[in-house]
Order: sequence, then C-alpha cells, then structure tokens
Amino acid sequence: MKEGDLLRSVEKQITQDTITEYAAASGDMNPIHVDQEFAARSQFGGTIAHGMMVAASVSEMMSAEFGMAWIETGRLKLRFRAPVYPGGAITAYGQVKRVRAKDGGSEVVCSVGVRSESEEDAVTGEATVRTGVQS
Amino acid sequence: MALDFATLETGQELSDKTYVLDAPTVERYVGAVGDRSGIYQPADDRPVVPAMAVAALGLRGIVADLGIPEGTVHAGQELDFSGAVRVGDVLRCRAVLSQNAVRGETRLVSLRLSVEDGAGSQVMTGKTTLLMGAAHGAARA
Repeated sequence: MKEGDLLRSVEKQITQDTITEYAAASGDMNPIHVDQEFAARSQFGGTIAHGMMVAASVSEMMSAEFGMAWIETGRLKLRFRAPVYPGGAITAYGQVKRVRAKDGGSEVVCSVGVRSESEEDAVTGEATVRTGVQS
Repeated sequence: MALDFATLETGQELSDKTYVLDAPTVERYVGAVGDRSGIYQPADDRPVVPAMAVAALGLRGIVADLGIPEGTVHAGQELDFSGAVRVGDVLRCRAVLSQNAVRGETRLVSLRLSVEDGAGSQVMTGKTTLLMGAAHGAARA
C-alpha cells in the first residue's frame, strides 16, 4: 500500500436489536444503551450504541485489509466524538497516511474513522499495522 | 462488587480475571457485530478470534468488577494487539487505574488494560477513558 490509498470501507446497520445483542455479548448493560426510559432522560435523549461496538467496524476494516498482521501487530487509537443512535447506518473508513520501512517490513499508519448516516464523524483516530515482518 | 470511584487512587489494580474464551461467547460476539472480515472461521479447529472481540470480551469481566455507574460514557480507546487469540484460549485480563480526575461536573477515569494468554504472553494492552458524573461515589452493583 502507499500513502493516500483508501481502505475498503465497512458499512453496518445499527438498530436497537443489534445494540441489545451486543450488550448481551459484551456484558455491558449500561442503560444508556438498552433502557429507553433512562436514555431519554440522559444528555443523549435516547439509547446509543456502545463505543466498542462502533469501533469494531474499524477493526473489521483493518482485518479485512491486513489480515493476521492486524491481529498480531495492530495498534488503534480512537476518540469517540459523537453518539451513534439506532436506526441508521455507519461507515468505517480509512486512508493510508504514512508507510515506512521498519524491522525488515513496513509500518503502515492509517487515519480511520466511523461516519454516521448524517455524515457526522462519530469516531476518529489512527490505526497502525506492521506488514511483511520476518519473524 | 461496586467501587466508590471517589476513593480510588491511580496505580490501583481494579480487576484481575482469568477465563476461557469459549466458542459460544465468541460466536455471540461475532454475530452481534456482524464481522465479515474473514478472520473468524468457525469451521476451523480453533478459530482465530477477531482482535476487537479480545478487547470487548476482555473488558467484560472488568465492567462487571467495576460496577460502572449508569450513564457512563466511553470517551476514548487505545488498543495494541500483539498476538493471535484462538477460541478455547485462557485469557488473563487486568485493569489498573491510570487517571481519576474531576473536571467540573465530570469525573474522568482512565484504565490501563492488559490481556495475557495462558502461557503468560501478552496479546493485548490498551487504555480506556470513561466519563461519568462527578457526583458518582458508590457505583451500581
């Protein structure tokens, strides 16, 4: 890969069902995600998706692009900037910022993020992966 | 167990859990996030677990230990993956408090995370940043 290359984006539908399913799978039953009445009284005015659920789409994108190198050497730094509400799609996106030689292979640094249907950046950050490293 | 965040000090270990990452748990996680990256191949003898599943499932025990207050918001996440985890692996997940500060009405809590496999090799480290109401003392159980 080279600087400027776009990563293949990943799109997900976020519904209350998928949020509830994620809550059960992750054990994070914070009512901000699963309790409509509680969430309605919160600063968000309704339930929102878990940050880690949204972030999973970035990791999926990196796994699809870099395979086991992501699993074994990936580094992710994310800031959750805006809530993701059920009832819309999110898109994980990324672009190669920098490629440099390192340890006999390459270190690829990508700017990454997750955009909501309203084109708002819900998550932004950076993902780094080392490829072609000889063990 | 519920923790009173107002009394916690940085450097304090908040959680230390060891568990087996079994197939139903991973299957449930992958189904919930709809991961189609191809990393997770359930037909394999011991499928590789998606990286974020290790993080999310590692955090599961920590969330339970902390009794994180209702309405807490996840503000930031750093993760550093350093080894493949397979279904059936034993994982030891630990969390240490690295920041506990009050700014206005908000308490900012950061946790340093580490996950080791059964052989003691580190497979993931990370940092979780949470925002909660400053008034939160004892958290819900």
